[in-house]
Amino acid sequence: MNAFEYVRPDDVAGAVTMVSRDPHASYLAGGTTLLDLVLKDGVVELGRVVDITRLPLRGISRGDDTLRVGALTTMEELAADPTVTERLPFVREALLLGASPQLRNMATVGGNILQRTRCRYFRDPTVAACNKRAPGSGCAAVTGVARMHAILGARAACIALHASDLCVPLVALDAVVHIQGVGGKRSVPLTEFYVLPGDRPDIENVLQHGELITEVEVPLLPVNARSGYLKVRDRASYEFALTSAAAALLIEDGTIARARLALGGVGTIPRRAREAEELLNGAPAVNQTFRAAAEVALRDPFTVSGTAFKVELAKRTIVRILQTVSGVQS
Amino acid sequence: MTVVTANKLLGDPVDRVDGPLKVTGAAPYPSDVTYPGLVHAVLVQSTIAAGTIRSIDAADAEAAPGVLAVITHENAPALAEGPMTPLLGPAPPSPLKDNRILHHGQHVAIVVAETLEQATAAARLVRIDYEETAPVLGIDNPEAAVLRNPWGLETQRGDAAAALASAEVVYDETFAIAAGTNNPLGLFATVARWEGDRLIVHESTQWPTMARQTLATVFNVPENDVQVLVPYLGGGFGAGLRTWPHAILTALAARLVDRPVKLVLTRPQMFTSVGHRAETTQRLRLGATRAGRLVAIDHVGTSTLGAEAANMEFISIETGAAYACPNVATHDRQVRLNIPSPGWMRGPGSEGNFAIESALDELSYTLGIDPLELRLRNYAEVHPQSGLPWSSKALRECYRVGAERFGWTRRTPEIGSMREGNWLVGYGMAGVTFGGAQLPCQVRVSIRRDGSAHVRSAATDIGTGTYTVATQLAAELLGLDIGQVRVEIGDSDLAPAPPSGGSSLATSLGGAIRDAAGNLLRAFLNVLAEDHRSPLQGRRRDDVTAADGRIHLVDDPSVGETYSDILARHELDELAADGEINPQADGAGMAPSGPFAARFAEVRIDAELGLLRVARIVSAVDAGRILNEKLARSQIIGATVMGIGMTMLEETIFDPGSGRIANATFGDYLIPVNADVPDLDVVFVGEPDRFSPIGSKGLGEVGIVGVSAAIANAVYHATGRRIRSLPITIDQLL
Repeated sequence: MNAFEYVRPDDVAGAVTMVSRDPHASYLAGGTTLLDLVLKDGVVELGRVVDITRLPLRGISRGDDTLRVGALTTMEELAADPTVTERLPFVREALLLGASPQLRNMATVGGNILQRTRCRYFRDPTVAACNKRAPGSGCAAVTGVARMHAILGARAACIALHASDLCVPLVALDAVVHIQGVGGKRSVPLTEFYVLPGDRPDIENVLQHGELITEVEVPLLPVNARSGYLKVRDRASYEFALTSAAAALLIEDGTIARARLALGGVGTIPRRAREAEELLNGAPAVNQTFRAAAEVALRDPFTVSGTAFKVELAKRTIVRILQTVSGVQS
Repeated sequence: MTVVTANKLLGDPVDRVDGPLKVTGAAPYPSDVTYPGLVHAVLVQSTIAAGTIRSIDAADAEAAPGVLAVITHENAPALAEGPMTPLLGPAPPSPLKDNRILHHGQHVAIVVAETLEQATAAARLVRIDYEETAPVLGIDNPEAAVLRNPWGLETQRGDAAAALASAEVVYDETFAIAAGTNNPLGLFATVARWEGDRLIVHESTQWPTMARQTLATVFNVPENDVQVLVPYLGGGFGAGLRTWPHAILTALAARLVDRPVKLVLTRPQMFTSVGHRAETTQRLRLGATRAGRLVAIDHVGTSTLGAEAANMEFISIETGAAYACPNVATHDRQVRLNIPSPGWMRGPGSEGNFAIESALDELSYTLGIDPLELRLRNYAEVHPQSGLPWSSKALRECYRVGAERFGWTRRTPEIGSMREGNWLVGYGMAGVTFGGAQLPCQVRVSIRRDGSAHVRSAATDIGTGTYTVATQLAAELLGLDIGQVRVEIGDSDLAPAPPSGGSSLATSLGGAIRDAAGNLLRAFLNVLAEDHRSPLQGRRRDDVTAADGRIHLVDDPSVGETYSDILARHELDELAADGEINPQADGAGMAPSGPFAARFAEVRIDAELGLLRVARIVSAVDAGRILNEKLARSQIIGATVMGIGMTMLEETIFDPGSGRIANATFGDYLIPVNADVPDLDVVFVGEPDRFSPIGSKGLGEVGIVGVSAAIANAVYHATGRRIRSLPITIDQLL
């Protein structure tokens, strides 16, 4: 590792100024991603680490229709929140199916949103070809061992997966990210926060260097909505998703009045399945509808040999979660 | 040969004697060792799989803060090759011989600095210019050199080809098992220190005696000047059977910087530095009668091998011994690739068992015979190759007791006929015939004037319980309380011992302790030969036994005296005796048995999502006399978990283009977590083994064998999908 400076400011503005002015500085919150990237994998070299764990950004408050979650709230704290249990049960499920209790006690909500891909070609500095690490160098994963990789939003330049579970229900819910920079505050819907790899897989989101996520605002589901999160993986616990799906349905007299659907394990970014939602809205809650929605959601995948099976698996994952949430038998 | 029959302590579920040390963190593992002035080493590994090093620029690394040395092939002294090893063949090639690169992750430099952080930073500054050539990768690669029958262990009996040609039923399928990595939790470490020409090494090894020989040979110093210490080891699973290049490099670094040097491998380096279970393919052909009698087995096993390394991989080793089949041919093939050298990983032979036991299951459906019944119809009453009686075999009992505990009769034979909710339920089973060896072993046992005993051998405890069973055995044989026995192992200066490997150590060391205990009683009687004050004067070994700290007549326990009294009266501080075991199967009139087992698995499958979960596994094991029921159970449970890993999760994946291991972290190489491990029922059956002086047979590995076939057979029963490649992952079940 290279030597770096470590600082721990007490106020948000000071932290933001510190990082914004220094292109080699980075925020450190729970550290569950950054420590791997810097210390173990050696793919990120920093001049200065700005520890933000003392900033007053930890805690959850409830509004009428939303939950405001401080960026430094841990995954475990969010999962334990009574409003989450009551009004956002699939958020709780996604949290508790992610990582391990030890990690969830360290990892923060802001950090979860900003977690880097698990692609081993990205995380190994001896691999030369990685457009995400070194723009223009190519992508070794496309011709390499790719199983935990993306099939939606992927392209030959990059198939790195965004592996978050939490972000899947959050994009389904139209959560909003509150951001502070040196020039002031702004808010971005999570669905518009991430950037598809395109030609610049190194650009992953709309944040400018130094901008800090301070809070995530999560709209609550209607009281009579039902929701669920399904995570499919080989290992029964403590593994990233091969495929996952978050669904929330409002069903009236056997008809889907309002559907929210998002996918994990398949996208370069957490995938909101809007076309599938449109198909579901107003349709009868039956298996035929679910399968049609799944087909739409997985339209135009980009697969390599190791990920081809995920197309059908993702469709079945969608069908199953819709069945589970709606109570329709398979 | 008589077997130990007393049973005061043997078999008792005694807690680990080293348990308190371990749970309090006080047990010194190799990576815990430190010295004043100790410095740290970090490896630089090749980032190509084949080619040569054109040049190395170490200037920046050498100039970095704290750096003491950057050792490469350009400045390293020539090192001799390690010795031939019994069991394992030639040693791994010594490091830094020349500029050739044979695999990705090959050690090309070692950087020594005052702190670990400085060494780590400097290692990243070593710039290497490679001349890359196309690596030979892939077990099916036609360009790869193939070794045929590399160890002369192929089995031939009868005429398998002719019997296959005329068999009523013929089976012919291929199997593939991914490479796996041993991954003991304890990262392998070496701490090396030279005192003049004397080398002291704290080393993660399962075999101190061999590590000493290897280091002495490589550095061309007398064996007397090398001491290898490993009182505790954080697991090995076969990775510690070799003295690998990183250990040699650490000793070399210590010599060159003239300071004690510590190297701890990182987890990714564990994948490339200490062996792995070879990737294998198998073609298995069976011939059978319609009544379910095997008439022919032809088994070809192919495994991967490092470019210039040797590895005795045992894919088909048990094929000839497992069933009473008159015509058997086994074939061993090895394919040389640009990969890190494979080595033994717990339970070599489990691969062949997967094929045979899957094939029998398939045959059972073809023939309409219950899988268990089919195995009984081909039961090998005597060793099928030699025709000799087994030294012990309770496999039939394993089947009976295992089936009973599992509830095998509840199985409805039709595929997909059992369900629980949305989950398909499958039952599967497998039989296990496994090799087991006693190996030459020596030990010294002494009794001190306070009546305490000291047992010394260069054996190791890799987490298996050697300390505990050696303590129990010595206490039993010398008539002492467990608290009066101290076992000292993990030091190559002590009496030579075989590795903790090949399921051999407990029985080998136990046999040696039994011999030593007998010799020690003789030594006491010798002291008393002219002692008319002793009630035991003139008595012979057969006349006496020991209990409660005293030697007494077998026929009259009231006649005897304590060790302490004898030693005090004769003004002796202690009496010591050596013991050894050097088992010779030739002429014994029996076939030495390894352990046997029957495995029964119940799985649940979500067919739409391809989810496979193991609901329970019952293991009925014949390992002869069980020395410590608690430790034995733990061994089987732990190995069964590894078997679940091998079957459903573990896969060391080589990047097809670069030969780099693509998943060399615990985040990417999946091993079972608690949620994957169901109720594991273990039952021991059988009698003491006649060939083993203490009646035990090795059980360190048998627990992994048969798990794969039992699960795969259960998957077939549930779904009708026959999976012949491991691991069985979601994509195979969709």
